[in-house]
Amino acid sequence: MVQTRKLKDGSRQVILNGKQYEVITKVLSELAAKTKASAILFADMSGQLISQRGNVEEMNTTVLSALAASDFAATSEMAKLVGEEAKFKLLFHEGEKRNVYLSNVGDDFFLVVVFDVSVTLGLIRIYTKKAIEDLTAALEEEAGSEASDENIIDSDFSTLLGNALDDSFK
Amino acid sequence: MFINWALQEINLKIVYYGPGMSGKTTNLEYIHSKLDPSLKGELVSLKTKEDRTIFFDFMQIEVGRIKGKKPKFNLYTVPGQVYYASSRKVILNGVDGIVFVADSQPHRMEANIETLLDLESNLKQDNQSLEEFPWVIQYNKRDLPGAESIDVLQKRLNFFNVPHFEAVAVRGDGVFNTLKAVINSVVQNVQNQL
Repeated sequence: MVQTRKLKDGSRQVILNGKQYEVITKVLSELAAKTKASAILFADMSGQLISQRGNVEEMNTTVLSALAASDFAATSEMAKLVGEEAKFKLLFHEGEKRNVYLSNVGDDFFLVVVFDVSVTLGLIRIYTKKAIEDLTAALEEEAGSEASDENIIDSDFSTLLGNALDDSFK
Repeated sequence: MFINWALQEINLKIVYYGPGMSGKTTNLEYIHSKLDPSLKGELVSLKTKEDRTIFFDFMQIEVGRIKGKKPKFNLYTVPGQVYYASSRKVILNGVDGIVFVADSQPHRMEANIETLLDLESNLKQDNQSLEEFPWVIQYNKRDLPGAESIDVLQKRLNFFNVPHFEAVAVRGDGVFNTLKAVINSVVQNVQNQL
């Protein structure tokens, strides 16, 4: 499993190890190769971009992830309003040149596939479904002990961070 | 908080919360206008044609590497208008720290209180509470004539005695101090809980 720590105040800490990241990136690469998608993003429901593949240089994928997460959030509220008990599993935006296909991966993550209209939706659906299964398996895999005991943020870190913030905010 | 060991990235989500027109977007706009381009991403605003935030504003900032780790801060604002209640709730998903931007004008006191209660109730739905959560208050619009005294604002709004800052966000006064304080609160909070 992806390591998720619940802090005392109720906030959530999600920790992804190196191996999981490697598998996720591999799944995205395969999906990109098979579908000829322009861009593929994997992100968490709070809007945090985790990994990306494809021609992502021409897109602001950080912002795209934040917007996609809110897209999911908005439609899950919509689902409630129309009496749908589960969340909507996938969202599809159709454009003139490009389409966007969004699908959740478990409750906490999602996949964004941006593709040209010349690629059929059916193809995207089939390969995305397979990718989601692989991603789900990767996320459920036992997390190794790697770094999990290491103090991510020690007092030294917070002092240095404070200084860095002062420098940036000059 | 999202930690990616492969990339050595630590991602924090900071949300600016507060009543309509209190200056949340102005805070982000000021930060965006002053930061070095290498440290900031694009500022995205989802606004109505009347310039009210309809969903959120978003911007990512960085400060370079610290002890090999790369902290990134994702700053969001929520729409203040009462009728956007459900978009406020969804933006709080995965939040690590909150800046409550209060409007110092006396006639906005009720709106401040109402929004603070709305925040508490949204946090409660996620088993969180203002008592435990890392947050700070910014008393904005200190330059306006007739602004309420800090004493009164403190008594009415700061019932958990969190760090508070006076600000004039349009001029940038207090903006960076507020941001630094909330980041500090989040970091302290993580440290205390490890």
